[in-house]
Amino acid sequence: MKMKINVLIGGKAGEGIDASSQILAKSLTKLGFYSFVYRDYGSFITGGHNFNVISFSEKPVYSHELSFDVVIALDENTIQIHKKEFKPRCLLISDVETSYRRYIKINAKEIIEKINAKPIVKNSIFLGAFFKAFDLPLNFLLETIKEKLKDEKNIEAAKLGYEYSRKVEKLQLPKEKKEKFFFDGTTAVGLGAIYSGLDIYFAYPMTPATPLLHYLSSKREKYGIKTIQLENEIAVANAALGASYAGATCMIGTSGGGFDLMCEAMSLQGMTEIPLVVYFAQRASPSTGMPTYTMQSDLKLALNCGHGEFPRVVIAPGDAKEAFYKTIEAFYLAYKYNVLSIILSDKHLAESFYTFDSFEEPEIKVENFILKNPKSFKTYSLTQDGVSIRSVPGEAFVKVNSYEHDEYGFTTEDKKVAKVMQEKRMKKFKALEKEVSEKFEMAKIYGNGENLIISFGSTKGAILDALPYLKNFRFLHIIYISPFPKKIVKEEIERSKRKIIIENNASGQLGSIIRENTGVEIEEILKYDGRPFTSEEIVFNVKRWLSGRY
Amino acid sequence: MADIEIRSNYRITWCPGCFNNVILNSFEKVLSELEKGGKIDLKKIVVVAGIGCHGKISDYLNISTFNALHGRAIPTALGIKLANKELKVVCFVGDGDTYAEGLDHLIHAARYNVDIKVFVHNNQNFALTVGQSTPTSEKGFKSKVRPEGEREEPINPLSLMLASKASFVARAFVLEKEHLEKIMREAILHKGFSFVDILQPCIVFHNTARFISEHAYKIEKPKSFEEALKLSLEWDYNLEEKSKIPIGIFWSEERETFEEKEGIEEVFYRRKKEEKFDELIKEVIA
Repeated sequence: MKMKINVLIGGKAGEGIDASSQILAKSLTKLGFYSFVYRDYGSFITGGHNFNVISFSEKPVYSHELSFDVVIALDENTIQIHKKEFKPRCLLISDVETSYRRYIKINAKEIIEKINAKPIVKNSIFLGAFFKAFDLPLNFLLETIKEKLKDEKNIEAAKLGYEYSRKVEKLQLPKEKKEKFFFDGTTAVGLGAIYSGLDIYFAYPMTPATPLLHYLSSKREKYGIKTIQLENEIAVANAALGASYAGATCMIGTSGGGFDLMCEAMSLQGMTEIPLVVYFAQRASPSTGMPTYTMQSDLKLALNCGHGEFPRVVIAPGDAKEAFYKTIEAFYLAYKYNVLSIILSDKHLAESFYTFDSFEEPEIKVENFILKNPKSFKTYSLTQDGVSIRSVPGEAFVKVNSYEHDEYGFTTEDKKVAKVMQEKRMKKFKALEKEVSEKFEMAKIYGNGENLIISFGSTKGAILDALPYLKNFRFLHIIYISPFPKKIVKEEIERSKRKIIIENNASGQLGSIIRENTGVEIEEILKYDGRPFTSEEIVFNVKRWLSGRY
Repeated sequence: MADIEIRSNYRITWCPGCFNNVILNSFEKVLSELEKGGKIDLKKIVVVAGIGCHGKISDYLNISTFNALHGRAIPTALGIKLANKELKVVCFVGDGDTYAEGLDHLIHAARYNVDIKVFVHNNQNFALTVGQSTPTSEKGFKSKVRPEGEREEPINPLSLMLASKASFVARAFVLEKEHLEKIMREAILHKGFSFVDILQPCIVFHNTARFISEHAYKIEKPKSFEEALKLSLEWDYNLEEKSKIPIGIFWSEERETFEEKEGIEEVFYRRKKEEKFDELIKEVIA
């Protein structure tokens, strides 16, 4: 089969394209394919134009493309808007009037009337038609529909869609039909948090972090977790610090604007040394920006949030599976070293679905690092590595303080104590950095060419898919931004011939962090229109850059 | 636990003669009585303070304290209570702190009926930043920002709290110390959100001690919510010759608390943590 088949499902908001994309991708995954789902939608609940892209292949696939082999159009608008992105032999499945040639026209209205169903089942009709067109076993589709949708009419609809359709080409099924894992970045962070012993997730709704609030809320009973929505992000961050102080394992989640509101509390975290994990899903542009679109433009915000100087962990996982393991590391580090851990995601990672072959048990075991019933206790006891083992009220008298304080937590403005405490807070990060560099993957290298692409976070997927089309390139994916894997990055840069940084923002924030840490200035390919990179785009731009035309 | 000194050795840096001392002394007395009577366990008390002169109270106590951010003591306290429902969480906040910077939290915490106690050191000005007006400064209050006198009407925190469904609402006055202690005791023992506006004249920037002494009178707890609301409107926080300042408990009722509604049954730090990896990966099998 072809390397990768790209299916577009387009329609108005509220027409069900999201559910049907997941159903299609999941059914294909059950058949042994790898699939990736990209969601593109605006800030409206109904109407407008939304589309999803399902890219699938026999080989692992980590990104979507914007040139389509199949288009499932729930409305005419979809064809108008995406006409230019149809590949020459693109197959259209729809019910609209069009002069387009390679077209399976299904009279959805007739089927809906026949089975007396709601108009939304049109999705299932077209999915049925898709399965017939590529001669795929329908039962895989029906099984997934049963799992995902309550309305049983969808089964009938898919069967009739299949019946009304015609075979266009036989799609060879992958030989191996191993069990696979299919999920998005949001679910990954949620599962990582539950694995880490999450007790309470505090949040205020904000796209694209809201799906995590919804996901964890749906798992409350099953895993005994609490999800608390408060009056604003300021309350959220301060309540989480209160809860963590009193011994609960906590996480908070938000996007840019909400994160701004939380910054003062992040600084409070730095001073009080109460463990806190933050899920930060970036959206595009300053201010309200483009809430449902993606960018990697808050990297420096995460690194620099909060006044005063205090250390923080910033981890930017590149795909859903990585997000699971890195969330667990974020919890472990926050609770062991009493620091702020920020999991830096974005709309693209949070809402895209990925397929994986395996899932290895994490090495980290869950612990909350709380001293029970200590004989004597000082919240900020000075230790060799700067890390004070914490206790909780009820077990000890625990004084924490937003003012500069002494070992007990009493306010101080004494210059000697102030200096020692500032050093203590910085020192513990050295210990943390040592453990991270020994135990955890801070950056990863893919491929073995002599030229180097450097990136971070969710841009990983498109670069991995572009790599086979770029001769003599390897890819350095930086996962830990703080602590920064200085040594690895420096060495990789030094042993490479041509080097390029690719990131999804306008000012080249990763580039400037690399410069700060290694002293090396590297050229950049940037994108900042709210859309993630596609692999085609990366291949095109890297080739242009190689020939000096970028 | 009886031997624990509630007061720390920390040197008090409030102005000599500051009425904040009265609040501190009263709190210490009430705690120690409640502890002797077996009503509370000092190990399970947490004091959360905001920022302002009042906030120094956390240094003067030897028990668990959280000196939080300006205006944010209330959400901090809410988090503490959720994490460990066995704790008695007492907030000391200021009028600038909670009526200006953190007003949203006060209203919502009342509405949630989270089981925390809020004592407002209301001196009707920002004293630690040298005397600007707060939302409860009276019209005409002179400061460096408004030498000609404050232009705005003060808010009425008691009416606001009643309208926000606070389940315990009271006003006290530092020069009625025994009365203050009685209210404090009841507020601490009340199950649910307790709010006490403590009139605490600032001897440096806003000495209303004489005015309040002359105009305050003690009330019996009103029999209905309507009566309580009407009584709360009797004084609008302006300082006028005709002002009558009712002090006492305006309202108390028992309602389901935030933690109860949330169904919190355990103290989270005592929860047994175990990895559920096999169960978790089942969630994402295609």
